[in-house]
Amino acid sequence: MSVQVTKTKAEQMLTEAFAGAEAALPGSDAVTKLRREAIGAFSALGLPTRRVEEWKYTDLRARLADSFPVAMDSVSGSQAIGGLLDGTAPGLLPGLNAYTIVFVDGALEPRTLPEDVKGLEVLPLATALESVPAWVEKALGETARPADAAVALNTALMAGGVAMRIADDVSLDRPIHLVFAQSGSEPKLVTTRVIVDLGARASLSLVETHVAMGTSVRQQNTLVTLALGEAAQVAHVKNLTVDKGSIHLSNSVVRLGARATYKPFQMTTGGGLVRHGLDLRFEGTHASLDFAALALPDMSGHVDTTLVIDHRVAHCTSRELYKCVLDGTARGVFQGKVIVAPGAQKTDGKQMAQALMLSPEAEFDSKPELEIYADDVVCGHGSTSAEIDEDLLFYCRSRGIPKAEARALLIESFIGEVIDKVEHEALREALVARAGAWLRAGHV
Amino acid sequence: MLEIKNLFVKLAEEDRQILKGLTLTVPKGEVHAIMGPNGSGKSTLAYVLAGRDGYEVTDGDILWNGESILGMEPDERAAKGVFLAFQYPMEIPGVAGLTFLRTATNAVRKKRGEAELSTPEFMRVVKDKAAKLNIAVEMLKRPVNVGFSGGEKKRSEILQMAMLEPTLCVLDETDSGLDIDALKVVSDGVNALRSPDRAMLVITHYQRLLNHIVPDRVHVLAAGKIQKSGGKELALELEKSGYAEFTGKAA
Repeated sequence: MSVQVTKTKAEQMLTEAFAGAEAALPGSDAVTKLRREAIGAFSALGLPTRRVEEWKYTDLRARLADSFPVAMDSVSGSQAIGGLLDGTAPGLLPGLNAYTIVFVDGALEPRTLPEDVKGLEVLPLATALESVPAWVEKALGETARPADAAVALNTALMAGGVAMRIADDVSLDRPIHLVFAQSGSEPKLVTTRVIVDLGARASLSLVETHVAMGTSVRQQNTLVTLALGEAAQVAHVKNLTVDKGSIHLSNSVVRLGARATYKPFQMTTGGGLVRHGLDLRFEGTHASLDFAALALPDMSGHVDTTLVIDHRVAHCTSRELYKCVLDGTARGVFQGKVIVAPGAQKTDGKQMAQALMLSPEAEFDSKPELEIYADDVVCGHGSTSAEIDEDLLFYCRSRGIPKAEARALLIESFIGEVIDKVEHEALREALVARAGAWLRAGHV
Repeated sequence: MLEIKNLFVKLAEEDRQILKGLTLTVPKGEVHAIMGPNGSGKSTLAYVLAGRDGYEVTDGDILWNGESILGMEPDERAAKGVFLAFQYPMEIPGVAGLTFLRTATNAVRKKRGEAELSTPEFMRVVKDKAAKLNIAVEMLKRPVNVGFSGGEKKRSEILQMAMLEPTLCVLDETDSGLDIDALKVVSDGVNALRSPDRAMLVITHYQRLLNHIVPDRVHVLAAGKIQKSGGKELALELEKSGYAEFTGKAA
């Protein structure tokens, strides 16, 4: 590792932003120590460039010109949140009957915290960082000593968010929907952290929506840690729109106990720069991951999905299905790294990344990486990139279907396979509608 | 009435002339067969009628009911009543057969100024027509043609034809890949659509299909133009003598 001598303007601004905000950031002395270590790590790492393998196709150092002012978890709760709660605001998921928790510019709307749900403990992030119960301490430990700049910045600057724990054997009757809304017209840097801990055999449907309500551009850094106890189950849908000029850096840090199952699904739209990181580790045998993602960037959007799947133990299964539809000069990136540790026999890992190219100027970068140190495993990967099939288009049109409708039908058939992975019916229908709206917004 | 007048067609991408002055008239209510050796331009004729890209009409015209269709997009032609049953029907993964049928049916109805079918109306019609072709509605819940046998694909084509109610039906090698039982089902389906308002052009290499779909006229297409026309007995002659007389060599 080389020590960076010259700092970019953004790197300097981010370090200064921490110094200016530190006194107001929530947390115990131990948390303050973590934050300082993290900003130290960030200073040493600098913003990632293409030379950092995990950021090969997203040169954040080049893309991030400066930093925006830090938003603190102290905003008044007076914003109009009606449309966020009932799902009628644009970009939301109508018809989803959920416990909805609203954050405006990262600040928790305390009125939206669910109360008296049996088996669910939920704390505002600030409270969790002050009191640091054992399960929160463990979660924070997973992001200590970060090797990734975005994770380091999140730990240093996390201001808003929530920590949740679901007791053993509890299945919530409804999904928990975290709505992160960006409001106003001033540029802001918003850093949020969500901590989720599931006991043995507990199950949760977690939905995250990130949506811009105002006109401002944002730099958003969001991190979710998920710890799944033995045989716990999580379906985790992330639904986001990131507008042009905004940057969304997200990371999920997931630890799976024995026989646990984790089913994430991400759908990304918008013209901004988006980076999804998943750092997942199998810690108990017979656990499984079923990852699916759909990127529908606007004409100039950039969506990078980079996974590191660590098969630390034997008999675990991982599946990844990534699809993107790229128009204009949009860029889709998929990097899927699967590590199979020496003892992780009977690992079963498969990944597939597919791009549908609507424009000759669009770009798809796909990089599978398999690091296998065990000898009795099944691992595979595939990647395709194609335009709309002219023969199929003619077939549809010869049946009277007009060109735009035929293209829409064929694009929908391409993305249908991945949206079908969402098992919750109302949620799946809302996502299908969102994809349909994207299509009708000039992409056919 | 279909009128093909002195049609010259070349491949758009290469300098190869396929049709060289083809002239043909099919009145409403009649079924005409086009027979010919491989490479004579039969499939090109079918695709040019349906409006596929990749072909260039360098001379001549195609009139349907007195109106040139050459400038029309494939979907406009479909709305005007043109239907091509493909030799190799396409598979569309991810699109359920019923969705496809309903989208197509309502698209042409809309263009023809007819009311779109509601879901219950559509289901009633499709069930009725599918039953006549021995197609289970369950099969239509699967993606279009995916995993279908050759016979199932051809029956699915005829069902599309029945749903779209075209007035000009072009059947390209509909008998290829069919066993004798499937051939009968498909032929019965086609015969059921014969009507005084409908013209049909049946393109085939073999006479076998014409035992089931009996044509009013038979035309021999070779070297890009109609070489000979006659009644249904011409098909039987060809079965005996082959196409050698039209190509100058044994077919």
